[in-house]
Amino acid sequence: MFNFKRTLRIVMTLVVVAVMVAPALSASAQAVELRWRTRPDNQAEADVYKGISDEIQADWKDVKLTYEPGGTETAGYQDTLIAEIEAGTAPDVFWIPGTDVARFANAGLILNLAEASAADAEFKTEDFYAGPMAALTTSLDDKPALWGLPRDVSAFAIYYNADLFDEAGVDYPAAGWTWDQFYKAAEAISGLGGDIKGFGMNAWWANWGYFVNSAGSRFFSDDKKSCGLNNEKTVEGLTFARSLFENNLAIPWGTDSEPPFLAGKLGMFLNGRWATPGTIANAKFKWNVGPLPSGPAGSVNWLFWGAYVVNAKTAHPAEAWQLVRRLTSAAIQGKVAALGANLPSRTSAEAVEAFEKSLPDSGVNNSVFSDSLKDPNFVVAETPLFFGDWPAIDQAYGTAASDVLNGKLSPQEFADTICGKVEQFFTK
Amino acid sequence: MTSLIEGRKVNAPTGLPIAIVANILWNLAVALGSVILGLTILGMEGNFYELGRPVQMFAGAVALIPALAAAISIVLLLQKHYNGRYVALIIDFGTLALSVIALLHLWGVFIGFDAIARALYDNVIWLLGVPLAYFLYWIAGRLSDDTGIRRVLEQIALLIGMGSLILLLFFGGILNAVGYILSRYSDPLVILFTVVLILSAAMFVAMLRLGSYFHETPTQSEAWQGWLMLSPNIIGFLLFFAGPLLLSFYLSFTNDTVGRVPEIIGLRNYGEIISLQVKTQTDLTLNPQNALDGNYELLADFTIGSTRYVLGARDKLFWYSLRNTFLYCLLLLPLSVLPALLLSLILNSQLPGMKIYRAAYFLPSVAAVVGTALIWRWLYDPVIGFINYGVGGIVTWLNSSFGMSLADPKIEWLTNEGTVLLALVLMGAWQVIGFNTVLFLAGLQQVPKILYEAAYVDGAGTWKRFRFVTLPLLAPTTFFVLITTIITGLQVFNEPYALIFQRPMPLNATTAVYYLYNRGFFRFEFGYASAVAWLLFAVIFTVTLIQFRVQQRSGFDAYSGG
Repeated sequence: MFNFKRTLRIVMTLVVVAVMVAPALSASAQAVELRWRTRPDNQAEADVYKGISDEIQADWKDVKLTYEPGGTETAGYQDTLIAEIEAGTAPDVFWIPGTDVARFANAGLILNLAEASAADAEFKTEDFYAGPMAALTTSLDDKPALWGLPRDVSAFAIYYNADLFDEAGVDYPAAGWTWDQFYKAAEAISGLGGDIKGFGMNAWWANWGYFVNSAGSRFFSDDKKSCGLNNEKTVEGLTFARSLFENNLAIPWGTDSEPPFLAGKLGMFLNGRWATPGTIANAKFKWNVGPLPSGPAGSVNWLFWGAYVVNAKTAHPAEAWQLVRRLTSAAIQGKVAALGANLPSRTSAEAVEAFEKSLPDSGVNNSVFSDSLKDPNFVVAETPLFFGDWPAIDQAYGTAASDVLNGKLSPQEFADTICGKVEQFFTK
Repeated sequence: MTSLIEGRKVNAPTGLPIAIVANILWNLAVALGSVILGLTILGMEGNFYELGRPVQMFAGAVALIPALAAAISIVLLLQKHYNGRYVALIIDFGTLALSVIALLHLWGVFIGFDAIARALYDNVIWLLGVPLAYFLYWIAGRLSDDTGIRRVLEQIALLIGMGSLILLLFFGGILNAVGYILSRYSDPLVILFTVVLILSAAMFVAMLRLGSYFHETPTQSEAWQGWLMLSPNIIGFLLFFAGPLLLSFYLSFTNDTVGRVPEIIGLRNYGEIISLQVKTQTDLTLNPQNALDGNYELLADFTIGSTRYVLGARDKLFWYSLRNTFLYCLLLLPLSVLPALLLSLILNSQLPGMKIYRAAYFLPSVAAVVGTALIWRWLYDPVIGFINYGVGGIVTWLNSSFGMSLADPKIEWLTNEGTVLLALVLMGAWQVIGFNTVLFLAGLQQVPKILYEAAYVDGAGTWKRFRFVTLPLLAPTTFFVLITTIITGLQVFNEPYALIFQRPMPLNATTAVYYLYNRGFFRFEFGYASAVAWLLFAVIFTVTLIQFRVQQRSGFDAYSGG
């Protein structure tokens, strides 16, 4: 007698096994297979990168490309990557933040692409922002080096709640405004009462670093081989930043400032371009972005970046270099720029124009970001520390800076002691 | 030849069955393969996948174990000893399992798991036919046996079910998959493992069928069936738990970092982590840090009379993280166990709708931590958080109702050093309470009702019934809850990782597991992080051992409940 249930169970078991095996194996055998990965911040970005991968694949028949959308920043992108590198299963090409390039290079995890780039007649380092390229061409052994190419760049701006500015009767942030005007605006908005605060920023190095940079100090010495914070300019920058917290004009240091900003309780929010799409989607009030206020040394912005690098264990270094080149081409960068979350890493007029035309219906003042990166004298590129242990230094800098902003340590004490604390983490 | 265990030889006719002869030959092949593999591993040049020579030696030795087992099996099988059958079965099953794993790897299944999920997700619509088929079959089952409609319905159901599965397969890319698998057979290794798979499966089945030849008793039969059922778990344990555990123990004695061959540095990691220094200072105007050697950081200082005692640590953060972890545990225990007990007493009642409440209280324990942490982060927000709204509301009410002049504290839950650990504990307790409640509830339902009735008859009130009946009989559950809560507390990682926004992590929120994660994944110091992990294991083990001892001294056995 035919037993339907039994037959169905057998068939289902076979199907499940086959389906588990099938898609993983559906790729046809090709000579060169390349896997690549980048860190998308959301599904929309992941979809764009998948589209980019398909587009490159359509034009590159000799290579089988597989795009692996890595987790987001909070979903352990970096942890997964490190574990895969240890296990020898990391993709051929992957993206890492700018600060990580040095330790990946120092540990021999990524390929030096200098030879491949030298043989590439169309490649010019000048096509990209100088800051990231200076870091990416840092040599470890006096031989030419190229550790990767920047995927995109980003910068800070002041996201402001125009409704609160109007209510407080304060002018919107504009080019040339100063720390004094910024402070007064924060004061006036905080004066609106209730839970409203004038200013907020998130608790990681670049935020307090902006105040230090704009006061004229730097995290590191010019050769990036020692600490650069033991000076009066650091004291000046941190003193100003601390005054915002001391006088109750800012969201407490360490608190995520995005929720209060999106809730309409925050006048000004120091944040990067990556926050723009989310703000467009969630802010229910009139808002825009303005330039960073000028400190004693001017309005000094960070140039954030991350790079596509090649796995040192890739079986196809030449093709991997080609993939990095394709992923950072002007056409591809235009597509990424259209998302509006980051700026192209190329400096050409076309690249800048593509960014400035992004998110056309939002009314966001895109040029605030692109303009802030034009003058290299007022830009500090995110620094991979080739001659020091950045995570350890970040821990020491961050802990001490938090103590300053929380009122436990004076700015002067910070400047007097911080370089001694991190001295051990620099390579002698 | 003398048997290893003379009394257990099988009194079988002279001559060996073909299955045993085949297994002896197969064991010879396995032994040969094992020796070749072991010697190959031991003779490999280079850094052995950047793990170093000690791991290479260990791996080589492990690879030789099957050779030893095969030799024993051959001897015992030649003696017709029934233990030979078991050793042969283990070898056959082991080679079968390993060849399956190797084949799946060579076919690219493991690395393509994302694609598998994507294909299932993209084509899941075709599976709708399966519930429809079941539904039709269920209707058919309700019809009389002799009706023709029943048979027709069953056939339609079968067609729909199988059709939908075939469509799922087709659109899932089965044809490409088969083609790809076949193309992989250009690799000799794939052919080799397929042959091993077939042969080991055949040998395994053949040996299983020899039960009567070896006079297998029902108990013995049940034993190997039990082990067979356990085998996926055992293999998983060995591969994914015991293996990494041993490796991390080894790495804890090395300077392992990403991309480099670890070098053995003895106990240096452990020394660095636990080194403490105590110094005295008589000039109290001096900075306490000055009393310590250069590589020690100030951990604590206290003054007795005119002398200041200064405690320093080489790795200050480790000690802070350990202190935070213990504090977290101490606070977590009362906040998650007592409310859970209370809740379980309420939920143990027979009131309508209790099942819904039980599920509701259990939800936090199964909800994703990252998601719930996001909610808690908003709750704790000092500006727009609901908790501070509540606190502010209470303050306003007190001021207006009683003429008080209290200030709204506007607590900075996650940024104030005094409150951040408490904030972590509150969230942790909220998550653990549900699980503990379910455990207590299970314990309560084991308490015989007759005891309550007897106590009631003796005049015991609610409190006395709880004190003298419920609590003593709940002791085994309480002990289990305490142990699991303490272990959960000592391993706390998710709460600070997901809840705290600030980087670097505030000192008072850094727990031991977060600290080791930070050393491993942010600073690439996997050797050091492994040492921290093993020290933490020692701490957890010691705490648990003390609990067991205390429990035993109080005359209660956790397992027997007596």
